[in-house]
Amino acid sequence: MSQDRLNVDGIMLFEQPFARVPYENYRKVFRSSQKNIEKELGAVQNAAKDLANKERPEDDVEATAKALDGMIARVEGLKRKLSDMQESAGKPTLDVMRERLQHLGAIEILESPNVPEFTRWADVRLDRWLVDWSLRNGKEKTARMIAAEKGIEVRSHHACVHCMASRPLARDIIKKIVDIDLFSDIRRIEDALNRKSCTEALAWCSENKAALRKLKNTLEFDLRLQEYIELARAGKTVEAMAYSKKHLLPWQETHFYQIVQAAALLCYRPSTSCGPYKRLYDPSRWTMLIQSFRLAIYHLSTLPTEPLLHLAMYAGLASLKLPACYNHETRNVDCPVCNSDLGVLAKEVPFSHHVNSTIVCRSTGKIMDADNMPMAMPNGQVYSKEVFDHMAAKNGGWVFDPRNPADRCRYTELRKVFIS
Amino acid sequence: MEGPLKELTKLEKLTFGTTSTKGKSPSIDQSLDALLDSLRNAKERFQAGMGSQGILESLAKTVEEKKKEVDDRQKEVYNALAKFGKALDKKFANSLPSYDPLFASPEAKGALERTIAVHFLRTGQFDTAQTFISESDIDVDPEMRAQFMTLHRIMLSLRNGNVIPALQWAHYNDDFLEDRPSSLKFHLHRFEYLRQLLSPHADIAAAINYARTNFPDFYPHHGAEIGRLMNCVTYLPLSRFMKSPYADLANPSIHSELERMFATEYCASLGMSRQAPLRVISDIGGGGALARIEKGRKVMRERKSEWSQANELPIEIPLPQENRYHSVFACPVSKEQSTEANPPMMMTCGHVITKESLQKLSKPGGRVKCPYCPMESNIQTALRVYF
Ligand SMILES: [Zn+2]
Ligand SMILES: [Zn+2]
Repeated sequence: MSQDRLNVDGIMLFEQPFARVPYENYRKVFRSSQKNIEKELGAVQNAAKDLANKERPEDDVEATAKALDGMIARVEGLKRKLSDMQESAGKPTLDVMRERLQHLGAIEILESPNVPEFTRWADVRLDRWLVDWSLRNGKEKTARMIAAEKGIEVRSHHACVHCMASRPLARDIIKKIVDIDLFSDIRRIEDALNRKSCTEALAWCSENKAALRKLKNTLEFDLRLQEYIELARAGKTVEAMAYSKKHLLPWQETHFYQIVQAAALLCYRPSTSCGPYKRLYDPSRWTMLIQSFRLAIYHLSTLPTEPLLHLAMYAGLASLKLPACYNHETRNVDCPVCNSDLGVLAKEVPFSHHVNSTIVCRSTGKIMDADNMPMAMPNGQVYSKEVFDHMAAKNGGWVFDPRNPADRCRYTELRKVFIS
Repeated sequence: MEGPLKELTKLEKLTFGTTSTKGKSPSIDQSLDALLDSLRNAKERFQAGMGSQGILESLAKTVEEKKKEVDDRQKEVYNALAKFGKALDKKFANSLPSYDPLFASPEAKGALERTIAVHFLRTGQFDTAQTFISESDIDVDPEMRAQFMTLHRIMLSLRNGNVIPALQWAHYNDDFLEDRPSSLKFHLHRFEYLRQLLSPHADIAAAINYARTNFPDFYPHHGAEIGRLMNCVTYLPLSRFMKSPYADLANPSIHSELERMFATEYCASLGMSRQAPLRVISDIGGGGALARIEKGRKVMRERKSEWSQANELPIEIPLPQENRYHSVFACPVSKEQSTEANPPMMMTCGHVITKESLQKLSKPGGRVKCPYCPMESNIQTALRVYF
């Protein structure tokens, strides 16, 4: 079976987040414009109604003019705000969107994966995955370097040689290929959690309150509970009780049991060996909070929880993995799964499945068929005819096992192998 | 991508620029400007002593009107955004599967980091590799690094049309290339000859002299091709050449094929894979394999037949020939894949079936009639074959 047509649907499976993230970003911009409009124009409407209800407004010109000035200032402010938002967030987001859709669209017209255009596209794709992977794994410098070295190619379809001088900054390029702002946000909040500060994560929760509620996500409660635990750890009992009343009690409908347990925590010292309370004091809760935060923000941003590189590698390794990869006798240096490092990773994936025979020459790596038949030596070792032909021509009719040159026989002793 | 791009264009037209009139309702800027005019106008009237309650009543009405215009415009944008979202949903109908964290063990993490570091080196991104290594907990063999730097130095020369470093390397690795067997050296000389012959101010005599000096060693294996190379001279100059049966010799793909051939031989000589392994698996995985695996699993779930071998994919992933690295023998009788315990056996006629099938087919006395040809043989004479 060969793959001579481009599997566009299979390729696009990976691209949903690439297309979706800027869309979600634009929706945020839209919602915030809507909020501003409601707030400012709502106030102007009320002011206008008040003015209209005033009797004989011409008697106090100064007050009326002042009220009108207030309304003018609001409308001017709104206008400025909306245009700033459009310039700094709206338009750039739509530009990124267009660039990404065009980049994805470029392969829809390609016939086969074996054209140079696709090779270049796949180069960029692997770079995007490596940037995404690096950002998720805290290797920001690497991410920026990949973008700086390679990012220009995303744009090359409409950049001419003369524009190369105005090469865009690495940051602009990286934005078009990976959502770096999102990852910087994640990093900033995770760093804070690592420093045992929930403030940044709680601010993020309140920015995304509605969305989190929709997902029934309880990250906020977990963060609040942690702040409470830290008060308990510091022996600040009074503050802890006040904190619980203010921030934990609102969750009592869903977290009643945990709130009760938290109240009891105040009776235990951080050095307690009592199971449930020991677990609450356990510093590893912070690691768990980082994990929960990560899952929540990936979810909200429609990013997959696993790096795209991992998903592609999972499928790629499973497509190739064979028991032969783990047998010294049948290792093939060209096979990715036979590579010692990738072989370790491949332990986590299933074996490939095959219905038909394919016989590959262990010397040349070529598939053997009627034109280049498999030939068996008397010891049962099979190689392709061309290998033996070459040897026989060089060695006066003698051939040997390329993997074990001590095993020799005459060319005439070889037997043709038939695979049905 | 046509669907989403069309909707995106509509959205851009609704939101770009301050004087856009593409929507049904006026742009928000226009509405706000009109509102500001009315407000300023009312203020001026009052300051000019011409104010009245009527002016303020009509102003309140204008505010309501303009608010409604703005709302209408926002609704249009909202609808365009929703339509765009639908177009995206349609284009990206399948979402990525969610797997348990992969490659999370310390062992796997190290293996993945080394794989990525080697990938940067292999693809000539030496600075990125350096940065990556400093951001990770891994070491990379400095010798490997040096080997890849040599590879990229030679490749860069090749790209610029200079075959000398590559020829030097080939000369140094003569025995290896001879054993492969590889025709790299011939192709390097062929490239240099053609470069001299087809350059804008070609010295044809010098090119032919180059051929006379360097081709004779290759006559035994490349006689026919050398004949072509010498004959093509009669079709010069280039304009005529391009229309001749020898036009393929001027094709730029000769250049890229030579680069690929050099990289293959260079890596093989160091016991490294022909292609960058990370690139190979991510291309296969991202080129449809994941989609196929997910589809296969879905079918299995729907049939409610738990896939019996959880350790094996439920479906076959089609692979390009160049990515078949190992022999797979599926017994034509039992359809089962051969294993160490049930190995492939070749009967006297040359046909191969697995050991278990062979035993099932054998009659008393050990006679086996081949299912694929008329020949009968004895089970004792069957040969275990190794692919
Ligand atoms: Zn393998
Ligand atoms: Zn037979």
